Amino acid sequence: MGIETDNKEIISSIRENAKLLLSENQVDVIIGYSEGTVPLSSTPIIIRKEEDVDKLIWNNLCYINLARYLAPLMPQLCDSEGNSLKIGIVAKGCVGRAVNLLAVEKQIDLDNIKMIGFNCNGIVNRSKIDLEIGEKEILDVSISGDDIIVKGHNWEKKFPYDQYINELCKVCQIKSPSATDANCIGECQELESIHDEFSDIAEFESKSADEKWAYIKDALQVCTLCYSCRQACPMCYCNLCFVDQNMPTWFGKTTQFTDIFTFHLIRAQHLAGRCVACGACSSVCPVGIDLNIITRKLEKIAKERFDYTSGLNAETIPPMMDFKMEDEEEFMLEED
Amino acid sequence: MTETVLEEKKIDEKWEPKIIAFLCNWCSYAGADLAGVSRIQYPPNIRIVRVPCSGRVNPYFIIKSLVDGWDGVVVSGCHPGDCHYISGNLVARRRFAILKELLEFFGIEPGRVNFMWASAAEGERFAVLIRKVTKIVKELGPNTKFQKEWC
Amino acid sequence: MEKVGAVMVVGAGIGGSQTSLDLGDSGYRVYLIESTTSIGGVMAQLDKTFPTNDCAMCIVSPKLVETGRHQNIDLSINCEILDVSGEAGNFTVKVKKKSLYINPDICTGCGVCGRNCPVEAIDIFNEGIARYAATFVKYPQAVPLVYAINKECCIGCGVCAGVCKAKAVEYEREDEEVDINVGSIVLAPGFDEFIPQQANKYGYGKYKNVVTSIEFERILSASGPYAGRVLRPSDGDIPEKVAFLQCIGSRDYTGEGQPYCSSVCCMYTAKEAVIAHEHQHEVKPTIFSMDIRAYGKDFDKYIIRAQEEYGIRYIRSRISSITEVSETKDLKLRYETEDGKVIEEDYNMVVLGVGLNPPDDAKYLAEKFGIELNEFGFAKTDVFNPVQTSRPGIFACGAFSQPKDIPETVTQASAAAGCVHQILYEKRGTLITEKTLPPEIFVAGQPPRIGVFVCHCGINIGGYVDVPEVTRYASTLPNVVMADRNLYTCSADTQGIIKEKIEEYHLNRVIVASCTPRTHEPLFQETIREAGLNRYLFQMANIRDQCSWVHMKQPEEATQKAKDLVRMAVNKARRLAPIDRIKLEVTQKSMVIGGGISGMVAALNFASQEIETHLVEKETELGGFAKHIYHTLEGGDVQAYLKDLIEQVKSNKFVHVYTNAEIESLDGYIGNFKTSVIHGPKKERAEFDHGAVIVATGAKEYKPKEFLYGQYKNVVLQSELEELLNTDSVIKNKKSVVMIQCVGSRNDEHPYCSKMCCTEAIKNALLVKKLYPSTEVTILFRDIRTYGFKEKYYRKAREEGIIFLRYDEDNPPEIITEDSSLNVKVKTAKAGDLSIPTDLLVLSAGIVASHEENEELAKMLKVPLNDDNFYLEAHVKLRPVDFATEGIFVAGLAHCPKTIEDSISQANAAVSRACTILSKDEIEVEGKTAVIDMSRCIGCGMCVENCAYNAIELIEDRHFGLVASINQALCKGCGACSGNCRCSAIDILGFTSEQIYSMITARL
Repeated sequence: MGIETDNKEIISSIRENAKLLLSENQVDVIIGYSEGTVPLSSTPIIIRKEEDVDKLIWNNLCYINLARYLAPLMPQLCDSEGNSLKIGIVAKGCVGRAVNLLAVEKQIDLDNIKMIGFNCNGIVNRSKIDLEIGEKEILDVSISGDDIIVKGHNWEKKFPYDQYINELCKVCQIKSPSATDANCIGECQELESIHDEFSDIAEFESKSADEKWAYIKDALQVCTLCYSCRQACPMCYCNLCFVDQNMPTWFGKTTQFTDIFTFHLIRAQHLAGRCVACGACSSVCPVGIDLNIITRKLEKIAKERFDYTSGLNAETIPPMMDFKMEDEEEFMLEED
Repeated sequence: MTETVLEEKKIDEKWEPKIIAFLCNWCSYAGADLAGVSRIQYPPNIRIVRVPCSGRVNPYFIIKSLVDGWDGVVVSGCHPGDCHYISGNLVARRRFAILKELLEFFGIEPGRVNFMWASAAEGERFAVLIRKVTKIVKELGPNTKFQKEWC
Repeated sequence: MEKVGAVMVVGAGIGGSQTSLDLGDSGYRVYLIESTTSIGGVMAQLDKTFPTNDCAMCIVSPKLVETGRHQNIDLSINCEILDVSGEAGNFTVKVKKKSLYINPDICTGCGVCGRNCPVEAIDIFNEGIARYAATFVKYPQAVPLVYAINKECCIGCGVCAGVCKAKAVEYEREDEEVDINVGSIVLAPGFDEFIPQQANKYGYGKYKNVVTSIEFERILSASGPYAGRVLRPSDGDIPEKVAFLQCIGSRDYTGEGQPYCSSVCCMYTAKEAVIAHEHQHEVKPTIFSMDIRAYGKDFDKYIIRAQEEYGIRYIRSRISSITEVSETKDLKLRYETEDGKVIEEDYNMVVLGVGLNPPDDAKYLAEKFGIELNEFGFAKTDVFNPVQTSRPGIFACGAFSQPKDIPETVTQASAAAGCVHQILYEKRGTLITEKTLPPEIFVAGQPPRIGVFVCHCGINIGGYVDVPEVTRYASTLPNVVMADRNLYTCSADTQGIIKEKIEEYHLNRVIVASCTPRTHEPLFQETIREAGLNRYLFQMANIRDQCSWVHMKQPEEATQKAKDLVRMAVNKARRLAPIDRIKLEVTQKSMVIGGGISGMVAALNFASQEIETHLVEKETELGGFAKHIYHTLEGGDVQAYLKDLIEQVKSNKFVHVYTNAEIESLDGYIGNFKTSVIHGPKKERAEFDHGAVIVATGAKEYKPKEFLYGQYKNVVLQSELEELLNTDSVIKNKKSVVMIQCVGSRNDEHPYCSKMCCTEAIKNALLVKKLYPSTEVTILFRDIRTYGFKEKYYRKAREEGIIFLRYDEDNPPEIITEDSSLNVKVKTAKAGDLSIPTDLLVLSAGIVASHEENEELAKMLKVPLNDDNFYLEAHVKLRPVDFATEGIFVAGLAHCPKTIEDSISQANAAVSRACTILSKDEIEVEGKTAVIDMSRCIGCGMCVENCAYNAIELIEDRHFGLVASINQALCKGCGACSGNCRCSAIDILGFTSEQIYSMITARL
């Protein structure tokens, strides 16, 4: 029972499907998760042989969105000519969304991709745990029943999973990839649309401009502009990110708040209707900034304004690629 | 104490915002010209940048304007259906809708960035809306949220 | 006589302008003669246009500016035709250029004279509602922007001459007579509206709150007398109940008006009602009409929206009388409903939907040009060439030959140009002058040396902005090496000064701080080009229209703003770079897809100009839709015409006909297409290059599923009836023929009017009556849409005893069968429930477009279809034969249901549009396009989706992989691609990111 059992089942299904794909030569390589080198982590792994499937794991620390390695395609996933190998990818729901959207944006050819789908049971909010543990050294992390057990020198702390799950995972409705059997082995589903009230950000949205500004300023001002969020994002695959562009250099790169703020604002603009809500950006943030609230806002804009949820299939173009005569324009200035 | 407050207030009343306006060549810029030809008076706070189409206006232009100290931004294009380039304004409208929502979400005063449509025949409307924007931005006061804080 | 490569176009409304542009672009010298003082005609007076509610000024003004400054178009205003001699190929026209009393070469259009004129005269443009001075322009955006003095009001006080700093006022200026030698003449004088003075039952001229529709149009206009507010003239109140009366002076047999239908009133009335309600929600319009004639493309949808979304009430009745309620100035309307009740209602305002008359000077023009007029006083034209007048070499287009709307006028305008080609094609390029320009000075890598010219514009700028101070300030800005000020920077002598300064100071960037670039940029660009600078090394600061004129009471602020604008311009100018206009070679051949009437007419027109044409037809036989039509309503012999066309096409050495053909592939772009066709019984492959494509793929007759069609042999389609009537006498013994209209039209499946079915029904009904007078003919209709002169035949049909009964869409007729006899049960509006026995039921089946076929071709051509699967043109008003993708044109039923006449017009129009490309060895395309930085592009394809012109495609680059690629021949430089690009991989020349950045950062 509980999370522990779920994870075991997920692991065995991933391994079984991975083995099948490799044995039938359906794929050349598989990219998945393996145990991390330090506690409270996991690390991506690429396997090519059947006997290595046991290195594949799943736990609630596998926050990396593996689709990140597809665009641009990492060299390990290419043949000597630089062409894509046939790739199997361990895919939770949000990896599936990213794979679909990358296909829409012509970054990958779905013919080369086989997702190994499963029903994701969520990711732990690592910074929340870090914050409670503080400076103490962590020696081991394990999952027992529904609890996360963190151990150190002469101490042990229990974190009930449902209280420490990532906020995004709590509201997530796309636990397994939305894909057809042609692109996915294991758990998948064909979702046409989802229903979401976005009640989790209603409170924030009801704040006054100054309150919001105060909150955002407080949250973002510790940002060091290390760009980890961008690097972890499966949809941030530009050759040259806008902050690195010159001629003209639109925005500064100092840690002046204006530069921090414009970075996050423009990044949000670029991800509107494209964000797949995997939460990798928040999970990798070294200073623990919670960007999930922005993620949810982006999802809300896409859904409520354009009736669009990213990555439900590999055909529908995202809202910024499209337009309609009837689009809402309540924000336009009008005469009194 | 009271005196300084009063003095500050005086300065406030004198303060005039600087507003940058990106106008599409075919409708809004022509509308602004018509306001001139018809001698319709409006406040002298805007500085107009001509662009071929509202579709040309990248969010970078808008944010950069705020970062650079403009107190308000206006983007004006052809009414939906009138676009000289068929659908440039419709492409732009989605982009602006998103930017507008994000700015509001991040706590930037909604009146800082304004989008409007004005046709080549709407000199009066152009002037009315520019008056309105000027009033809004004036009430908001100087654009401080984007100011660099040198300490 | 030697042919002359010049054409005269008479009338510079939208029609005349279009003809001139087409011909000017194809290498003819064009003399555009206008009788009033500015061009634009009625369209420039309109507020919005149906069915898209496009702003008329927004869409027409760029076209007028283009006409005004086209190097092959000589525009003369305020002209009168005195005499015409000669013949097709070589005419001489004597024209009187009447004096404006202001020298048009010197007048800068600044308007100071008009503002200072003490005499108020009536302003024609605003239909007498607003007042203007004796010195006037017709409207603020007038082309050409020169003032004129109305001598009838002028009191000769001399104020204008005193205030004119340009010294353009010349009271003694005299009329001038000139002889113009041209090879062909196109008449486009438009129409004059019916003025209901005589028809006093409407109280027009007597009651203040009764206005005509064109006056109401000015009321609606943002640039009109009430700045777009809907107010009634008597007291300036907002009228709540507004009645729109249709057919004022149209369909009128009393002698007061005209017997024909004016074609456009139903739609413009609906539009005016919608816009009135949109401008002022209090306004609740009611429209009184007999039939709703919404026969054009997407018109019916507009009417439905007017009713459902805007709550506009339609009452089917013609008003018998109007009286004024003297206290309130409201108007009492008396009318009879369809079922015979008499109702009286009060309205706050009445708008008369006035019809279109021939132009007032039609008789004069006809006499001068030696052409015949028809029975209604319009230009008489040929049945199978609706732009050909009775005199060879002279063509008529637009409302001069029959009332018509804007797209029909524009189509005919191009069609007239298309017919001119047939006469004068060998003379293309003989009378146009190519300017010799010095080679461009190489400026790359040099530091900017900017010259700033600040304009006083008389007192227009100088009176409010401290011009010396702005000039001084400009000279302090970085890279500015000289700053000077001029009384009028646009005057001819200043152009000389600018050139001198460029040389003296080695300027490589020039800024003019004056009026608007929309009107004056081309002039200054030409000047600096003559001095050897690339045209794009020029920048304007608009310190008049957008500064001095709008801050007249704040000179200090205006001066500050002018300085800011100059600084922003300097910042941009520092980043300006030369832009080369790209030249593309043109394959001077064409391809026409579809071998119906439209396709064949187009192919033959090309062939007559010796342009090699590939005609591709998917069927075994040429002929298309017209194969089943024997006569037109007016009596034209369609079969003979068709036979002749087919023979000509087959025997013409410039036409290659492919039947049984399928297009295998079609690649390329404007001027350079490559097509592969599989054709013939043996499925042979043909490959050819061509510079343009005309899509004339036609449409089909609807095959009804309703009304027992196909089950009873006594149920036939109109086309089948026509065949029976023309080939045998099967229907000889029929007692009662019943026709049902709108079968497969104007319903949920096909929500549009098929335009020709009413005409077809009346044509066949008249023929039945003629052949078998004792046969009873009943036509069950929803609206009878015999627009234009076709109305005559509707009247004739009623006189012949053909019974017309109207039914509602909600209560369609039902067919009751008993053995082999048919009974039509119908609920009619006038006579209630009826049951009509019939021995021949005729269905007026609509016209449908094939989704599969059209979609396949549309994808290949990358052009769009509308919801009803007809091809969607670039602009429904002003570009009715063009696609947004350049080099591809549409004609005939592929575009939307239309008559043979319209198809022929559109085919010739498509040829004319194509000739603007095919008449040249190479075309120059605008240099201000998008450019890609491949190293930044990630090939996400967003720009491809956002581009309205199909100018971007993703290509596989050897080095950078999948990246976007711009086809500069197709790109218009709008920047929709660039505004969304996350990587900043796309930039727009002329409006680059760096240039805009530098303007933003010039805030200070």
